[in-house]
Amino acid sequence: MERYGNERRMDGGGAPAQPQYAERELRDRRAESRRIERGAFDLPFFLLTLLILSIGVVMVLSASFARAYYSGGNGMGIFLRQLGFAGLGIALMIFLSTLPSTFYRRMSVPLLLVTGLMLALVPFLGTGKSEVGANRWFNLGFTTFQPSEIAKIAIILFFAHLICLYRGRMKTFRYGVAPFAGVLGATVFLLILEPHLSASVIIIAIGAIMMFAGGTRLWYFIVGGGVVALAGFIVIRFFPYASSRVTVWLDPWSDPLDKGLQTIQSLYAIGSGGLTGLGLGQGRQKYMYLPEEHNDFIFSIVCEELGFIGAMLILFLFAVLIIRGYWLALHAKDRFGSLVIVGITSLLAIQVFLNVAVVTNFVPCTGISLPFFSYGGTALLIQLGEMGIVLSISREIPLRKKKSEDGEGK
Amino acid sequence: MASQGTGSSGQRTNKTILGRTLFLAVVCGIVAFIVLGVQLYNVMIREHEKYEEMAVRQQTRSVSVSASRGTIYDTNGNTLARSATAYTVFISPYEVKMYHEKEYKKNEKVYKDEPTLIARELNRILGADYDAMLEMMKDTKSWYKTVATKVSSEVADQVRQFKKDYSIAGVHIEEDSKRFYPYGDLACHVIGFVGRDNYGLEGIEALYDDSLEGTNGSVVRLVAQNGTEMLFENYQNYNDAIDGNDMTLTLDSTIQAVAEKYLQQAMEANYIQNGGCVIVMNVNTGEILALANANSYDLNDPWGLPQETLDEIALIEDPEERSKAVETAQLAQWRDMALSDTYEPGSVFKIITMAIGLEEGVITENDSFPCYGKIPVGQIPGRDSDLHCWKHAGHGEQNLRQAAMHSCNVAFANIGLKIGAETYYDYVDAFGLKDKTGIDLSGESGSQWWPRSEFVGWNKSSLASASFGQTFNVTPIQMITAVSAAVNGGYLMEPYIVKEMRNADGDVVYSKEPTVVRQVISEETSALVADILQSVVGDDGGTGSNAYVPGYRIGGKTGTTTKTALERQTGVREYMVSFCGIAPADDPEVAVLLVLDNPSKESGIYVGGGQMAAPYVGKIMSEILPYLGVQPIYEPEEEALLDVTVPRLIGSGVVVAREKAKELGISVREVGAGDTVTAQLPVAGAQVAAGSQIVVYLGEPTPQETVVVPDLTGKNVNSARNALQNLGLYLDTSGASPAISGVKVASQAVEPGTEVPYGAVINVTLVDKSNLGFY
Repeated sequence: MERYGNERRMDGGGAPAQPQYAERELRDRRAESRRIERGAFDLPFFLLTLLILSIGVVMVLSASFARAYYSGGNGMGIFLRQLGFAGLGIALMIFLSTLPSTFYRRMSVPLLLVTGLMLALVPFLGTGKSEVGANRWFNLGFTTFQPSEIAKIAIILFFAHLICLYRGRMKTFRYGVAPFAGVLGATVFLLILEPHLSASVIIIAIGAIMMFAGGTRLWYFIVGGGVVALAGFIVIRFFPYASSRVTVWLDPWSDPLDKGLQTIQSLYAIGSGGLTGLGLGQGRQKYMYLPEEHNDFIFSIVCEELGFIGAMLILFLFAVLIIRGYWLALHAKDRFGSLVIVGITSLLAIQVFLNVAVVTNFVPCTGISLPFFSYGGTALLIQLGEMGIVLSISREIPLRKKKSEDGEGK
Repeated sequence: MASQGTGSSGQRTNKTILGRTLFLAVVCGIVAFIVLGVQLYNVMIREHEKYEEMAVRQQTRSVSVSASRGTIYDTNGNTLARSATAYTVFISPYEVKMYHEKEYKKNEKVYKDEPTLIARELNRILGADYDAMLEMMKDTKSWYKTVATKVSSEVADQVRQFKKDYSIAGVHIEEDSKRFYPYGDLACHVIGFVGRDNYGLEGIEALYDDSLEGTNGSVVRLVAQNGTEMLFENYQNYNDAIDGNDMTLTLDSTIQAVAEKYLQQAMEANYIQNGGCVIVMNVNTGEILALANANSYDLNDPWGLPQETLDEIALIEDPEERSKAVETAQLAQWRDMALSDTYEPGSVFKIITMAIGLEEGVITENDSFPCYGKIPVGQIPGRDSDLHCWKHAGHGEQNLRQAAMHSCNVAFANIGLKIGAETYYDYVDAFGLKDKTGIDLSGESGSQWWPRSEFVGWNKSSLASASFGQTFNVTPIQMITAVSAAVNGGYLMEPYIVKEMRNADGDVVYSKEPTVVRQVISEETSALVADILQSVVGDDGGTGSNAYVPGYRIGGKTGTTTKTALERQTGVREYMVSFCGIAPADDPEVAVLLVLDNPSKESGIYVGGGQMAAPYVGKIMSEILPYLGVQPIYEPEEEALLDVTVPRLIGSGVVVAREKAKELGISVREVGAGDTVTAQLPVAGAQVAAGSQIVVYLGEPTPQETVVVPDLTGKNVNSARNALQNLGLYLDTSGASPAISGVKVASQAVEPGTEVPYGAVINVTLVDKSNLGFY
């Protein structure tokens, strides 16, 4: 069994000394680079990403123009910035696709530590946006970024690493639940400090998915799900802030000018779209009626302008990209790669689902951006970076498959 | 290398991962998207219309486009009322504030206190209240605060300039309209006026408001949330304004002006203390040619009061009382007496009694109606006193024509009794005197009559009084309509004033044809009534002689009553004098009714319709009949009395001059011995009384001296003419026919004692004062 050779060795050797580990890693990589000729990355996945990204950037132009114009500019400002980040992101994606998957595994632990540090610091050093009232951003001068975005990929990489590490013991509580729950708990605790509810929800979801894919017993999910449901119920029942959200979710018109405003305006936009939409650029809700029209609520503008047909087409592209992601996961060279792709693809799916569900008032309103569409430089860079990681792993597939087929043939 | 155990465990783990990944792929890649698709379908397709409607409601602003109010024309197309563009200036306090905040951020060169600047400048340009504007701008949530309405375009331009100079945001100018009445107070009670919001409040403007105002349109625009228009949006929904209908009245502004002029003269000459009105009607169609009340007001300032009224009101101490007085005065000046007030018509009503009697055959023209001054008590069932004729000596033997000329109460009471109460009452109804006439003007009142049962009972005193027009009340418009029916061939017409309406495209949308309500009397009876009425005015001894106009066959009837109800209540005696004239009597075209309320003896004129009202109806007739194209027909004896227009003789040979003068029946006196006329007196074109002698100068110079005008009042025509001629002056007459004995000069155009050039023409008004009486 060539496939999980490395892991087995590591498992067998217990906790190896650091020099040994590095030495072996180096040797492996040399051997690997000799043995495995990295092929081309998965073209369908790459092209789908580019296609969705292009549509997203165009929609940013359409959605942002009015507000950019009225706030005293030429209207192209937001679009050009997004276009720049898209270009940068594509470069990053291609660059990251050239790195071997082993690099990501090695990075998983340091990245988690750095993320933890950043999350711990952001309540003190970070900046907020006045309309949100929470410190979620680091200001880098030329741009801002949310550590929570990094946290998502860090959790994915670390959990994939950990699952590989505890490969045979995932069904036990000690290895299959406790370490994961500990890391998740710590991360969510830091996120709640900001506070950042939506990121917490996503991180919990993605952590759970990683554990699920990694083989944790279903029983624990039932128990965990029960605990989360109970906690949710208590929060909604006893915290007025949360319960008001539910009230507004059930009837946005109960508070049409404040809490229900976004949802109502979003529904106006989406509902106005009808079957064929008002036409690209012809939307009306973006004229300052719909808040966050080029961020979290950009999909409402998509629906308004491109109609049901256009919206479904875009959702179809996302679905194809996601299914292609899982297909790549199933064909990944090793378990780590497979789990990383599952994580990244699932993260994408969760974000798309929650965003569209929020703008259509299917779930209570919370701030979740739509990948490749919502305006935001660093978020876009990170999303494209994640795609780069998927592509990197995809490059190792054809050779592996061929080798394995050859091996079996003999 | 690989142990079997771990290998199988690895296999199992692999299978688990594979299965769970496939499960995730199905959930995240397919199920999740189906759920989203269903949700999108619900919102975008099933609830599409609901959300679209709600969205459009918030995204659109509807701007009203006001329809232009229709123009009102007189019968000849002269504009009586029209709408001109005016402007409304308003402030948007919200924008003032937003602009201030935005600009203040941008640069330092902005005016730090826009509200003060705006208030100061708009106060300067529009005269709007400075403090009120500052107060308005404190309401920064408001988008619309009206500062001034009905602003002319010049002033609106000044506001625009101010906006430009200071690049001010939040001050807006909106198009609106203002009603103009080019003739000011002419026909004010007919036309009426509009309020500040262009709704008709009085007259035609009120009654036909719906038709005149049109339908406002709207422009629906897509706007951004901040109220500005959306970029690149060309969605605009125009709902065109439909302009109001233009209206053509039967009213003739020329006739109206004549009627108003003489109404005013009558008011002043007779010291009328209450009010007065005049109606000119086309007897054959019911068209109102003129309708005026003495209490006129300027339609361009209908709330304004005359200075003397304001002075009186200013003396009232209590402010509440004062504003009440202002209101009362305004209502009084808007009151349309001709339609809204009733009066006892008096002897004018004898026209109706005569028509009924003739139509019913109970009397003929040649019947004898002797009058011995009274019908003694006891002869009229129910009457407890003698019924006196106004002429207590009695009129003696007289036929119907003479009884009418004499306006004999005894004769007409007897005619009424002959007709009988039932029949009489039926005719009163048939002449439309119990119903409103249905004229298309607002504020028409009904009449006051006895109930039928009371009128037709054993007590005939009501019938006797009604026969000469007393103890009941009708409106002036009812009276003239009934008289018109009596003389136009017997047809009761529905009086009307709106002839035609055209929509904005010029299509006729309403056209009124003369409406015959019913035929009341036969054509023959009607013709006889008209003929008798001409005798009342034209024949010697007629009581309407002061309405005479040579050549125009004026007929008519005087009316004089005391206000018995008022007298009974207060002991104060007030009179109501009137005259209703028709012309030409041989084929009546127009009727003129002049009613004067409460004349004063102080005027020096005998209180009675014949002295006070008839002369002015005559004057009105003398101007409107030529205007209406009625051809004068002069009887030979009339012709001899006509004024003569002096021909141009200068330059003619003396023989030719003599010939010309002879043709015109003028005697000529020659001064000098030349062959050619070098000068003449009076000048060519002057009007002089018949029998005047003109002077031609044959080489001699004309006298350059001035002459002192003598007092001619009280003289008859001949002596007046001679008195002037002896001084080298000439006489010209108007008013009653000089042929009637007893006609005297009542007034002269040039005051006695005035110095005038030799040869000047002095105009005098002749009045028949031979027949003074309460008729």
